[in-house]
Amino acid sequence: MAATSAVPTAPLQTSGVQPDAVRRRRRRSERRFRSPADVLVFLALCLGAVTMLLPLAWMLSTSLKTQENVFILPPQWLPDPIVWENYLRIWEAGPILTGIRNSAIVSLTVITVGTVTSCFAAYGFSKMKIPGRNAIFLGLLAGIMIPFPALMIPTFMLFSRIGWVDTLLPLIVPGLFGNLMMVFFLRQYLMSVPDSLIEAAVIDGASHPQIFGRIVLPLIRPAIAAQVILWFMGTWNDYLGPIIYLNSENVHTLQLVIANFNATYAVQTDFPLIMAASIVSLVPVLAVFLVFQRQIIESIALTGNKG
Amino acid sequence: MRRRRFLTGAAAAAGAAATAGAATGCGNLQSGDPNTLTFMFRGSTEERDVFSRAVELFQEREGISVDIISTSADQYATKLQTAILGGRTPDVFYFDASMATAYMTNGVLADITPYVEATELPVDDIWQAGVDLYRFDGDQRGQGPIYGMPKDLGPFSFGYNKTLFEERGVEPPDPDVPLDWDEFLDRCARLTGDRAGTGTTDTWGTSVNIGAEIHSYLWSNGADWLDEDLRTVTVDTPEFIEALQYVVDLREVHGVTPSINDTEGLDGYQRWLRGQIGFFPVAPWDLTLYRTLDFEFDLCPYPAGSTGTPATFIGSLGIGVSASSATPDRAAELAMFLACDPDAQAIIVGEGQTIPNTRTHAAEWVQDTSVEPQNKQEYIDIVEDYGRFVPDMLTYTPEWLNAFHTDLQPVLEGRRDVAEYLAATQPVMQGFLDAGHEQFRIDQEANS
Amino acid sequence: MSSVPAATAPPAVPEAAAAGAAGRGRPPRHRPGRGPLHRTERIWGRIFIAPPVIGFALFALAPLIFSFYASFTHWNGLSAPLFSGLTNFRTMAGDAQFWQSLWNTAFMMLGIPIGLAISLALALALNRRIPARGAFRVIYYLPGVSSVAAISILWQWALNGDFGLVNQMLSMVGIEGPNWLAEKMWVKPALIIMGVWKGIGFSTLLYLAALQSVPRTLLEAAMLDGAGAWRRFLHVTVPMLSPVTFFLVVTGIIGGAQMFAEINIMTPTGGPEFGSATIVWYIWQQGFQNLKLGYATAMSLVLGLMIFAVTAVQFYLNSRNVFTVE
Repeated sequence: MAATSAVPTAPLQTSGVQPDAVRRRRRRSERRFRSPADVLVFLALCLGAVTMLLPLAWMLSTSLKTQENVFILPPQWLPDPIVWENYLRIWEAGPILTGIRNSAIVSLTVITVGTVTSCFAAYGFSKMKIPGRNAIFLGLLAGIMIPFPALMIPTFMLFSRIGWVDTLLPLIVPGLFGNLMMVFFLRQYLMSVPDSLIEAAVIDGASHPQIFGRIVLPLIRPAIAAQVILWFMGTWNDYLGPIIYLNSENVHTLQLVIANFNATYAVQTDFPLIMAASIVSLVPVLAVFLVFQRQIIESIALTGNKG
Repeated sequence: MRRRRFLTGAAAAAGAAATAGAATGCGNLQSGDPNTLTFMFRGSTEERDVFSRAVELFQEREGISVDIISTSADQYATKLQTAILGGRTPDVFYFDASMATAYMTNGVLADITPYVEATELPVDDIWQAGVDLYRFDGDQRGQGPIYGMPKDLGPFSFGYNKTLFEERGVEPPDPDVPLDWDEFLDRCARLTGDRAGTGTTDTWGTSVNIGAEIHSYLWSNGADWLDEDLRTVTVDTPEFIEALQYVVDLREVHGVTPSINDTEGLDGYQRWLRGQIGFFPVAPWDLTLYRTLDFEFDLCPYPAGSTGTPATFIGSLGIGVSASSATPDRAAELAMFLACDPDAQAIIVGEGQTIPNTRTHAAEWVQDTSVEPQNKQEYIDIVEDYGRFVPDMLTYTPEWLNAFHTDLQPVLEGRRDVAEYLAATQPVMQGFLDAGHEQFRIDQEANS
Repeated sequence: MSSVPAATAPPAVPEAAAAGAAGRGRPPRHRPGRGPLHRTERIWGRIFIAPPVIGFALFALAPLIFSFYASFTHWNGLSAPLFSGLTNFRTMAGDAQFWQSLWNTAFMMLGIPIGLAISLALALALNRRIPARGAFRVIYYLPGVSSVAAISILWQWALNGDFGLVNQMLSMVGIEGPNWLAEKMWVKPALIIMGVWKGIGFSTLLYLAALQSVPRTLLEAAMLDGAGAWRRFLHVTVPMLSPVTFFLVVTGIIGGAQMFAEINIMTPTGGPEFGSATIVWYIWQQGFQNLKLGYATAMSLVLGLMIFAVTAVQFYLNSRNVFTVE
């Protein structure tokens, strides 16, 4: 089995994300600024960072206030008193737990199956000899450009006729066929993997699924990881699909529950409750992002290199 | 290596959980059970709770099980539309009176006249105006077969903050005799002032919610949106101009309502909730909330313009039966049950947000002075006497009326002349009305 | 991502492979994959790409064909569509609200160049040797992680005239902020600000990666030729970044043209004097509130054609201008 080919793969250059040992050694030298310009840049970045975080911090602050304190002028930043109960109330005020469960079901199912299909497809489009593959690929890309109202209504009617409305299936099934953005991304990535690598394996008698599994997959794993994260965030945050397809509360996804919160409680100006619910909806995605953010950044950098 | 195994393991676990979960997510596949009715409706959280209980009562009494789908008000239209589109119209559902003609013309609603005539429920006791609203003979509303039950009639009454009136030493309005526009202005001016002594105005005579209250001012001044045939837009009449000008002047000239600046943070409604407004509308759907506020309120007639009689609009929702329902008799029974069954009404009115839907019940209800408002008779007066339906509930689509509000803001802020605005908007509204009528004509032909 | 120059392109490889293959005594392949030897490959290939193609056929092509038909009908969503020829398109041409919503949408695209400029500046800043770069990267990317619903709700409250965050901050520097979402002049800028805030993280990361792949040799050569920092930036770095810029502009336009959820949550009636109604929001409203599904579909298709045309033009311009080493 020609799993290790004659061709050496160049070490993949990462963007400023260094192996731990080197990082530790570098850190001290990085603490000293190289030039006064760097100091200014650092300060500007801090200012910018504050701007980026301010709305989220303020969301947190509002979620811990009492309803009246929300309307005090000048507005207070540190809530007084701090109302932790808001975070308890949200669980009763709406089906948040069910929302989380349903969102998780949709996201995880779509991603586990859809990633597999997308990877195979990307490999097919970039490395395998299929007549007219570029034309087919461009055709698929054109599909992204169709405004969703043109697709939404006929698709809804289709799902309605087969009785899938008010279930999670319309949100899951289309994703199982693959994610075009992921295919696009991986295809670009794969194009820089040398063809000869594959050909050598073919010559050695490997079947295509084997080539894919043993040679290609390890090379593109960071890219896959990054795309998976992005796709997870996309499905988790999807709002339009749930609005159309989900009626009963037992299938509501989290975004729908949050949007309903806004509609129901804004009239009563119960903003702390709405903000608390929104923060809770952000936490899972945030957690995933923080855990995997290096993967995302690495892979984007890697693509940057590989074109 | 360890991380790879961890990731594969995690992925496998996730996949397993997901497929298991997906199976449960399919639990709502409609079973097509002929013994179950589906009922779709909307409302605030209190309303939904109350109606669910009324439906349970129906289930116990009739032995028919009902699947309830409830959504928030702003998503309802989309949901219903998509349900109809997909051929999955619920057996029983709420619908907006403004969409009624379209639903009736296109065969979405079932003709329930035979069930209405045969039932033992007291349908004759329901407000006549309510039942007639959902009649349609193919051309006109108000006559012909019945296509839906009124869920309720919602009289949009005027009210006032008794506590504020006492504090500012202003005589409360007479429950039977409406104020004329000069007297109204005078009372508002005396209610406007600085209660907390901070140097800024913090109480106002009134705050006008233009979308809901404009009808009162223009009708009581002898103007109207459309002519009798509902074919011509009549917003550029002198009476209309006068009425709109009066409303604009309340803020811009006399300052008896919160200014634009004041309403940026807290709008009129919020200020009313905080006891800062003297006169404000009090509709039945507001009652549960208003009763919890820390001031006393009561109802009074709207101020009357040149006609000398007050006017305001009546809202209504219909409860309809789907024309494609497998069991229209049971569905109709549910609709009628919710509309007029005494026990159901007791729950709905008692803890909900509507006035009684039947005359006998209303007569009793008015006598109850233990709970606000004291002057419940005002609601009855509106329904029986001076209330009207806004014409967009009768036309094919409400688009023409929406066009009135799109560019209204500059007029309300005094930046654009009232007469000029109305003269310019009339043709735009007329265009939409004509287009709506054309749609109606096409659909009539297609469905005949 | 699409055509960033592969700085580490290994030109030596084909020869090595040929040498290796020749070493085994088989002639190198010249034909592009047809012929019996590659039949297994073709079969497997087709199997591999089948799922997205099937998905496309089911969920994009079929609905599109139906929509194409529906755009020529009078369809109220309650009964069957009725053929009506070109009526919808004629109505569209004369529909003031259609054109205004197109204008609104186009205006909101101003956020794209603003966002790109800011992201580039940020990427340059993050490319320098300063502490806490990793933390900054996370912080700037954070808003992009959240959902449209949560962000819209947050910003709706943040843009409140009296109690909102934005006006609070402005008042600290002595500016009295307007009631953003209720004033015709300010509602679009408010939405642009929100969009930029949300999208900056992603573009910055892409630019950062691209910056780090600009070959040092090129920059050094320019320095040796006497080019100053600004000229090096303008004539070496920026052209090398053009593929990323291209990608971001194309996806930005496609995404921006379909802006809907924010409008629906923040200004559900189309904004002050129809000031924030985007085209997709208008399409939605016409289809679902005014029973004009045929018209709504017609507008969607016209929009789709516009997006396609704009994208095609961009691809054409790009193919003439981009500087790649491919």
